[in-house]
Amino acid sequence: MDELYLDNIDEYVHDHNKIVTYKWLSVTLGVHVNTAKQMLYHYLDHKRKESSAPLHATYLVSGRFEDNGQTSHRVSLVREDQVEDVKSKMSLIASVHVYSVQKALLKDSSTLYSVDYDAVKDNLKNCSRYSAIRCASAVPMSSVEMQRPPSPEPESKKSSMNGEAQKPSTKSQKGIMGMFANKPTSKTQDSSKEIKLGPKDDTPEADATKSKPAGKANPMSNFFGTQLSKKPDKTIKVEEAAQSPTAEQKPQTSSQPEEKQEAAVETQKDTKKDSRSKTKRIQDSDSEEEKMEKKKRRRIKKPEPDSSDEDVIPDSPQQVETSLKKTAKTVSYSQQVHSEIKTRKRRRVLKHHTFQDEEGCIVTEKVYESESYSETEDDAQPTKQAPKDVGAAKLPASQKDDEKKSQKKASANANKGSKQASIMGFFQKK
Amino acid sequence: MFSHLSVQKEGSSLLCRPTSEEQEPVFDRESLAYTPCTDRYKVGERSFSRQYAHIYAARLMQMRPLLTKAAQQMWGSDVVISKLCDLQTGVQCCIVGTLFKRMDLQPSILKEISEEHNLLPQPARAKYISEADELILEDELQRIKLEGKIDRDKCVTGSVIAIYGTERNDGKFTVEDFCTADLPMQTPRPSLSSDRFVLLASGLGLGSSSADSMLGLQLLIDMVTGQLGDQGEQRSAATIARVLLAGNLLSQNTQDKDASTKAKYLTKKTQAGSVDAIRLLDELLLQLVASVSVDVMPGQYDPTNYTLPQQPLHRCMFPLSSVYPTLHLTSNPYQANIDGVRFLGTSGQNVCDIQKYSSRDSHLEILEETLRLRHLAPTAPDTLGCYPFYQKDPFILEECPHVYFSGNAPAYESKLITGPDGQEVLLVTVPDFNSTQTVCLVNLRTLQCEPVTFSAFTADDEDSEMNISH
Repeated sequence: MDELYLDNIDEYVHDHNKIVTYKWLSVTLGVHVNTAKQMLYHYLDHKRKESSAPLHATYLVSGRFEDNGQTSHRVSLVREDQVEDVKSKMSLIASVHVYSVQKALLKDSSTLYSVDYDAVKDNLKNCSRYSAIRCASAVPMSSVEMQRPPSPEPESKKSSMNGEAQKPSTKSQKGIMGMFANKPTSKTQDSSKEIKLGPKDDTPEADATKSKPAGKANPMSNFFGTQLSKKPDKTIKVEEAAQSPTAEQKPQTSSQPEEKQEAAVETQKDTKKDSRSKTKRIQDSDSEEEKMEKKKRRRIKKPEPDSSDEDVIPDSPQQVETSLKKTAKTVSYSQQVHSEIKTRKRRRVLKHHTFQDEEGCIVTEKVYESESYSETEDDAQPTKQAPKDVGAAKLPASQKDDEKKSQKKASANANKGSKQASIMGFFQKK
Repeated sequence: MFSHLSVQKEGSSLLCRPTSEEQEPVFDRESLAYTPCTDRYKVGERSFSRQYAHIYAARLMQMRPLLTKAAQQMWGSDVVISKLCDLQTGVQCCIVGTLFKRMDLQPSILKEISEEHNLLPQPARAKYISEADELILEDELQRIKLEGKIDRDKCVTGSVIAIYGTERNDGKFTVEDFCTADLPMQTPRPSLSSDRFVLLASGLGLGSSSADSMLGLQLLIDMVTGQLGDQGEQRSAATIARVLLAGNLLSQNTQDKDASTKAKYLTKKTQAGSVDAIRLLDELLLQLVASVSVDVMPGQYDPTNYTLPQQPLHRCMFPLSSVYPTLHLTSNPYQANIDGVRFLGTSGQNVCDIQKYSSRDSHLEILEETLRLRHLAPTAPDTLGCYPFYQKDPFILEECPHVYFSGNAPAYESKLITGPDGQEVLLVTVPDFNSTQTVCLVNLRTLQCEPVTFSAFTADDEDSEMNISH
């Protein structure tokens, strides 16, 4: 082996005034750690023979050490002058080698750490490249492997550990999703037919308008599905609430096959429909919100039993709910029906959006929506929202509808007023 | 023993000139079959709305059959085991129940709140036992005060035991004898052909104010990764098949208590002390995982949940080292099967808590006691933070480990105990590395344990010697 390294080390130690440790040397020269230790020893030996400027070295001594009857393996870093002393204390010596060579006498060994720190940090990626141990299994994973999610937690384990609270929630979730996604049962088809019967004069149009939101029902339900899953502790409430919206959702999903037939009609009315579908969607979300509203209702109802008495249509609580929500809308309904029949027009409507955000807070937004509107929709609306009333609402002409609407409006207003009062009542000290 | 194996047979090979012809040795790291069993300590759904009473109910229900068996073994199969409600005055019988120690000194938040007469806050004590303590046994329905041959100060709340004695006229129960569930059954350990080691370390204490310990830590890493020492030492270092870091990787100093009380705008720009420490830990872990399998348990001061069972540290915190499949982030009660040898242990919170609430001082003694009680953390949830389990108490030991350890002990201690059915358990208290510079090596073949100490010299040299061997 050529002894160029002696000059190298000499340069580091004397010219650069460095503390040269075996680790630093191994990394710098790219040699095995053991070779680096031998190099340092050789250099030290060589320089001592030359008896030039004084050099200081630290040694590593490891071995078996006995202390108060307790034996331990001891790894010590010592100055050169103490090597023999430490060695004599050890009952068995495993290894002795040069740890570092430097010009000045080291007072504190902690500097040795900072000397190595940069060298180690620069070579973190292959830090055990020159060490004497290879580990076959320590191969860095590729980014693809990293992407793979860590082994999925066993569901059964979780539930057994944390109780059944989780089980019903996942079950019910599935149930809701299943009902939303793919369940065109015969019963729902019937109900959709029923709806079609009502506004018979322009069925295609009504269908076309209806089919579009149907297509969006899935992502919609997904959205709500995920929301529901966020509050598994309220499972029971969600479950009972879920029963009612499914009945309302079904007609929409079932009208999906009709979409193709109506494709031609649809294309003609694309522009019109877009805006319509938007409004429809919002209405959908309204009907979803009823679930939350339902829970709320119990609290609201208590302080105002008189106002609920005024309700002429107590058999369909959802209607009360919707009327409460769409105050602005129903107002225009009643006006519209009186003034013009079966005409389409656009208008801006103030709507209340109530939804639950990620943090579980119920947020109400007032939004102006532009929507196109015709009388036919008016008929379809109540039937869809309250399937129970379909029979009753279908037969009589628009007149009876109007009647209902005005009542609804009144009740809605009453509700609103009392709602305010109840909140105020909350803040008053009784 | 590790040092025996490390001894260089043919003299030192490093105190000579490098020779070109000889290829430097490279040893292959031993790899062992490893099955983690930490599912038991995973908390999936985290609902903290439940009461803690369920744990005690579940614990008593699960332990009752075990203690009934133990009582019958101890006092004969015809011993009368009754419930507290069926207890008759003056009739000797055995009762299984949960111990409760009423302690005056036990800190209570209710006491602090109710006493609104500007009392000075009670100083944190090393021990909370006092002469006025009362020992009470509870079963599902009732409780009874205990007297007699039971050491009040040694018992802790939450341990399920069986007592034997009589009720006196004054309503107190005189204990004549008592027994614990004792060691659970153990699957036999396979006999290994060669020496393999598992290195246990705890309390690395990164981010502490003293930087001295860093060199010791680096020496430890260099030894394990095969940089340090002679060929013999490197060869035996290659037989260290696993490194287990038992908690408190970060120092207590990294926890900034002010952060939560200070105004947000004041602390907006300050970085949590743990950020740098975790970065350092990541670098150190990277050096280790590139060469050996490492299990990382969280401890009291580590950035994960506080309550037991502590969930694994998140791998996002270790961008460098988490790319290696050799890094295993585990839960705090740690349970794993390493080459057929069953390891069970904690980062030491359970032992420290019992130390505070009983007269016992030795971590090893407490560790053995928890094994005899067959419960990892009897004082949870009374004085030790714990997740409100309600169907099952996961801290009940169902299978006897071969190596039972607890981390962050003041000093290294170990003991091999033999159970009534021939169970062999190595108890190890893993010392706090930051203060002792000591780790321990468990030989899987012989179940022997040996401490490894790292020392360096400081400016006042003689002191360092003393510090380490205290």
